[in-house]
Amino acid sequence: MKTKLGFLILGLGLVFTISCTKYPPESDRLLEDLAVMTQYDTKAVFTDYKSYYIYDTITKISDAGASTINTATSSPVIQAIVKNMNARGFEQHTNVTDKVDMRIRVVYYQNTTVYTYSYGWYGGYYPYYPYYPVYYSSYTTGLADIELADMTTANIVNNQVPILWSAGIRGLLTGSHSTSEITGSIDQAFIQTPQLTRNK
Amino acid sequence: MKKIIIILTAFVCLAGLAQAQDTPPSSLGFTPKSYYTFSWNTTFTMGDFNKWVGNASPAGFDMGGRYFVKNGLNVGWNISWQRVSQIYDNETYTIPDKGIAINAENYRFTWMVPFQAVVAYNLMPEKMVSPYVSLGIGGDYMEHHLMIQEYDIYKTRWDFSLTPEVGALVKFGNFNQWGALVAFNYKWTTNKIELYETTSKNLQMLNLKVGIAMIIR
Repeated sequence: MKTKLGFLILGLGLVFTISCTKYPPESDRLLEDLAVMTQYDTKAVFTDYKSYYIYDTITKISDAGASTINTATSSPVIQAIVKNMNARGFEQHTNVTDKVDMRIRVVYYQNTTVYTYSYGWYGGYYPYYPYYPVYYSSYTTGLADIELADMTTANIVNNQVPILWSAGIRGLLTGSHSTSEITGSIDQAFIQTPQLTRNK
Repeated sequence: MKKIIIILTAFVCLAGLAQAQDTPPSSLGFTPKSYYTFSWNTTFTMGDFNKWVGNASPAGFDMGGRYFVKNGLNVGWNISWQRVSQIYDNETYTIPDKGIAINAENYRFTWMVPFQAVVAYNLMPEKMVSPYVSLGIGGDYMEHHLMIQEYDIYKTRWDFSLTPEVGALVKFGNFNQWGALVAFNYKWTTNKIELYETTSKNLQMLNLKVGIAMIIR
């Protein structure tokens, strides 16, 4: 009886061990985890900049070409950027023809990854083909790139526009996140760049 | 830490008490020549290691063999497999001189394979409950992983380890080849973690082992 109990405890331990050592696969991590990467120009003096204009559409670039993301999806992103910029003392201009110090554009790069998997065993002889069927699957993820361009030193003729600050958010706009998660990631991009402010 | 010691002590005492009621002389009926153990191992990280992964982890196993040399003195080996892991939400890494900051959920885990030579002394090896003390000396293979999105940054290391242990072998009955093993050890290693913005050296941990033993006459 005690021997059986010993084996039972050990068996339960095995099951517990196996069940608690799994990590989400790469595809899930890319879809569900938001990674916020920011970089600012360390030589920029942000108090020298006052006004900005933000394009109210988000361009999606994928293998299929470029298109515009619908307003319902893009609007929370744009609004979150505006909220943060205004809170940091910058002044929004809504007329595209206005002369402003900075312009903000959001571009979404979509990427679809196709991968294969097989439940079978590989053969012991060259050329190591799997015995069982190979399955195909895919996941779509991407990067939302927010760029803050310096229009005070931009050389429009030569298409040279310095970037003061950029934020890349991996996993955004994949459809896996709530609006609060999306706007939260925008907020995070600003939080981790305290230098981007006129409020000194 | 105190709780663990209290639980361990209570377990050993209760096991001995239960056995004493079944068989008053508390004698095994034979003197073992060797025994083999297979136990479920729970690790509690300490010090720098605890800053890397703070969670206790029950994901581990240990196998061992002991061969009696003289009276209670025995020598043997231990091989284990253990994994400790933790998910950290919204950690921010910065590279200030380049103006870079990265915020992401990250998964950290370390898996280790210790292999040690052991010298041990069993008190009352012929009794139903046989407490022991041991010292394991050997090596540790460890893999430290930091996973962020599709990136898996990892380093592997082979290092020295030292493991003093106290425990007890609790036989299931007279002339029974099987018994339970309960043990508690402290492990010190020269292993270290050197991943971005995280440096830990001389990794230390406590381990609680609960398992079964096969006793050879």
